[in-house]
Amino acid sequence: MTDSSRKKSIVGLIVMFVAGILLIATAIHVQAMSTAAQAGKFNWPLAEEALTAQPASGPAATIPPPKQEPCLSCHITGENKNLWTPLVRWLVFGTFGLIFAFGVYRSASVWTQRKPWKPLTVRAATWVDERYQISEPLSKILKKPVPKYALHWWYCLGGITAFLFVVQGLTGIMLAFYYKPTAAEAYASIQFIENEVRFGAAIRMIHHWAANAMIVMCIAHMLRVFIMGAFKPPRELNWISGVLLLILTLAFGFTGYLLPWDQRAFWATTVGTQIAGAIPAIGNLALVFLRVGWNVSEATLGRFYGLHIIVIPLATVAFMLVHFMMVRRLGVKKPL
Amino acid sequence: MTTPHPETEKDSIPFYPDHVKTEFFVVVGIVVLAIIVGILGLLSPVGLQAPADPLNTPLHVKPEWYFLFLYQILKIIPPNILGIEGTALGVVSVIVALIIVMLWPFFDKKEDTKKAMWIRVAVTILGLILVIALTIWGEVS
Repeated sequence: MTDSSRKKSIVGLIVMFVAGILLIATAIHVQAMSTAAQAGKFNWPLAEEALTAQPASGPAATIPPPKQEPCLSCHITGENKNLWTPLVRWLVFGTFGLIFAFGVYRSASVWTQRKPWKPLTVRAATWVDERYQISEPLSKILKKPVPKYALHWWYCLGGITAFLFVVQGLTGIMLAFYYKPTAAEAYASIQFIENEVRFGAAIRMIHHWAANAMIVMCIAHMLRVFIMGAFKPPRELNWISGVLLLILTLAFGFTGYLLPWDQRAFWATTVGTQIAGAIPAIGNLALVFLRVGWNVSEATLGRFYGLHIIVIPLATVAFMLVHFMMVRRLGVKKPL
Repeated sequence: MTTPHPETEKDSIPFYPDHVKTEFFVVVGIVVLAIIVGILGLLSPVGLQAPADPLNTPLHVKPEWYFLFLYQILKIIPPNILGIEGTALGVVSVIVALIIVMLWPFFDKKEDTKKAMWIRVAVTILGLILVIALTIWGEVS
């Protein structure tokens, strides 16, 4: 890597870091605001009192009351001091301790062996390579040249779609920790995610907008391929797997739309499954398969949830692997 | 079939680290955008409508925006065309269109020319205008 590109990478990482700090700061701010709104006004002396006032004896003195809601900003707002402090303490002092121990070991080993120090990354890479013998095929993959005509921004669209899929996977897992796919609890669990879970509203917003962006990017990528004629032989199978991936992306959107279980979700799904029911011959079968019955009900919610978090992701990953492997094998089509 | 990869040094850059670096910047950009979206989400969440109520149909039932053009086609198609049910015809024509799109490489196999590319550009723009117009129509109606 050249010097300037290293500098740019560091700048990129710093930008990402600053954005993350901003996210955390906003979360703390929003939480402090909501706490203040709940209590009318945040009362420092009262919080101090609540902390110091402990029952003198009895079972309540030995078993602390369960914490209602762990919170990140507590060491700042004053309540609940003991939750994050130990972790932060362990991390800070532990890191310093590890760095110190490593320094001692490194100095001692250089001094006793009279040899220059080999970086840990090199050691780890050698260790893994001795066992898996992966460096030769890996370097073959990594050294494959990329033609210069493939450096325009519009060749990024497919990659952006793939990365948005990763974003969707990560935020989707986070949402699945708290979401409950039952008619009684789905709506309330979304409210819980938005109001109680830390960063819940942020994660839901990212999942919501990245889903829309993924569809837009998918269609943009497809139009780019179509216009440039990249579907022509020998890339037919790539085009077909791409269209299947677009259908899977739309199926993601369709199944995910029902999960909040609000009016919009319910009636959009009713209308959507009605359209599936209008297919001649197999319409009723499709309708009953999607709705698990003749009406949209809790069973539909369960079916859509299963499709959304297991079936469609697995199919998408499989087709994406096929898609990428073919792109690697055949390369980027030379434009006219 | 031609060899897909140019072998000369001056026509290509190494995948690693040069091209990986470019993609790294794209990833950083998307992550920063996602975090900004997250911050906006904290300030004003996506929100929810009223809980689902099977007995209470809202006035304007609409699917998601990417199915809106399809829904609009089905809405404006006459209920009866030459004795065939209109909705069924609309759905079938959409499915047939999808299959044609999927199998398009097998219909269009000729060596590519500039002229063919411009025709494809025109077809794409026309199709986009049609779909966007139908989507807007579906949104406002």
